[in-house]
Amino acid sequence: MLELQRNVIFGQFVETGSSIHRMDARVKITATLIFIVASFLVDNFLGFAILLPLLVAIGIASKIPIGYVLRGSRIFLAFLVFILAFQVLFYPGDVPESDYLWHWGILSVSTEGLYTAGILALRVILLYYITTMLMLTTSLVDLTNGLELMLGPLQRLRVPVNELVLVFVIAIKFVPIYIQEMERLARAQTARGVPFDEGGAITRARRLGRLLVPIFISGFARADTLTIAMNTRSYRGGRRRTKLRQMHASPSDWLVLALLVAWTIAASLA
Amino acid sequence: MHPDGEPPILELERFSHTYLEGTPRASEGVKDVSFRIRRGERVGIVGATQSGKSTVVDSFAHLLRLKPGQVFYRGEDVAAPDYDRARLRREVGIVFQQPESQIIEDVVGADVAFGPTAAGLSAAETRGRVEESLNTLGLPYPEYRLRYVHALSGGQRRRVAIAGVLAMHTPVLVLDEPMAGLDPRGRRELLELLVRLQKDRELTLIVCSASLTDASLLCDRFIVMDGGTVVMDGPVREVLREVDRLAELDITLPEPVVGAREMQKLFPDFPTDLLTEDELESELLERLGVA
Repeated sequence: MLELQRNVIFGQFVETGSSIHRMDARVKITATLIFIVASFLVDNFLGFAILLPLLVAIGIASKIPIGYVLRGSRIFLAFLVFILAFQVLFYPGDVPESDYLWHWGILSVSTEGLYTAGILALRVILLYYITTMLMLTTSLVDLTNGLELMLGPLQRLRVPVNELVLVFVIAIKFVPIYIQEMERLARAQTARGVPFDEGGAITRARRLGRLLVPIFISGFARADTLTIAMNTRSYRGGRRRTKLRQMHASPSDWLVLALLVAWTIAASLA
Repeated sequence: MHPDGEPPILELERFSHTYLEGTPRASEGVKDVSFRIRRGERVGIVGATQSGKSTVVDSFAHLLRLKPGQVFYRGEDVAAPDYDRARLRREVGIVFQQPESQIIEDVVGADVAFGPTAAGLSAAETRGRVEESLNTLGLPYPEYRLRYVHALSGGQRRRVAIAGVLAMHTPVLVLDEPMAGLDPRGRRELLELLVRLQKDRELTLIVCSASLTDASLLCDRFIVMDGGTVVMDGPVREVLREVDRLAELDITLPEPVVGAREMQKLFPDFPTDLLTEDELESELLERLGVA
């Protein structure tokens, strides 16, 4: 609790200067989308096994220690295990009696249920890993610019792309700030005798509740300040804004995407 | 180890701390910081931002992941596995830079009562402590007891935060930038209050600041930090004599010292270890041959 930032890495950007970091943000966003589609298409373990080397390669190329990524997923994994337990126990499929390993009332454990839960787990982990990697390797400026450029054509349909992207990016950017804020609050309250670093899971969760009110208040204040800051600096979204840095996709970017598409199709067909 | 019999109330022994150690976002807070603070001492820990002051403050109440053998309270290692951290936090009171962060309850009275209640005091005792602390800070108990904290001004909120810590009757009181955001009158009042409290309760008082203006009137000793290490440690006047070095470290000097520094242009040997305007004046008059 006193070092919450160690366990929650969502929305964090870690600069290592790797080739993945330097890649065009649009390529990374497209790649993430390809992986998201793949996670729905791949429906057996062999398919995920085919994807695995690719994911490992991304992890190594990013130069971000894998331990850091995994530790950051601890809270998320606990949640996943909880959901999977339900998935297995209440598996509703049409299961022949011989496949039940255990059965009691509406609760059951069947091989088929375990199999589906296993696939589901891999899907969720893949989604988590790939979106986390996108965040860890792409600065917010790049992410904003990339999204704006990609969604640009929608502006013709009068979709307020800039505003939507801005809201999305600010939402993500605020997560690490809140985590930091929570850590600071927890530290100050610990000093006053609220032992955040002791006690069981439920007591800890209840103590977290005490942090919510101040977090919300500071959150509103922060949003207010940001709005004023943007107004005083004459922020306005839209086509009139120019970019200091223009994005250019290079042939190697297209090559990466083509390779990725081919690889994921292979995994989906497996 | 402690020839005078009593161990120092706080001791840092080659204290080093790295935030998020072992992750790609690790950043060094302090390195090899050592000092001892005796009971009843009035110490100012001064340095520019990022000098490591706050890390040192957090270590006093074990608010960081500490390594054993670096931080001692009354001679005991606070990072020892069986050390009673809750007791440590009842004895070392910290007023943080942003008072909002340490206010737990919505209502003033309830918040000040939080510490004493958590420490297991009876309702009557707690009420007495709350009344005493609020009155001491110039927030009359009957009037402020039921006020909402969020409806108070910044200065009042800081007082509530201080009252919450005072109500604990801690032998050690640590204040991180207590004067930030206060108007001149609020500063003067707080300064007088702290001087009085320290004397009455024989407190060990530790004040953290990037400015020596108020700290020089409140403390007898300065520990000057820069880049996560201690660069000077000594009696206030001794430290003030090294005025050029302090200015180099981006530390705000007290007004009399600033004046004295100007005077050095006329009198190269003009002393800079001056605490008050009066001292500056008499020194100046002496030079001019009036006195």
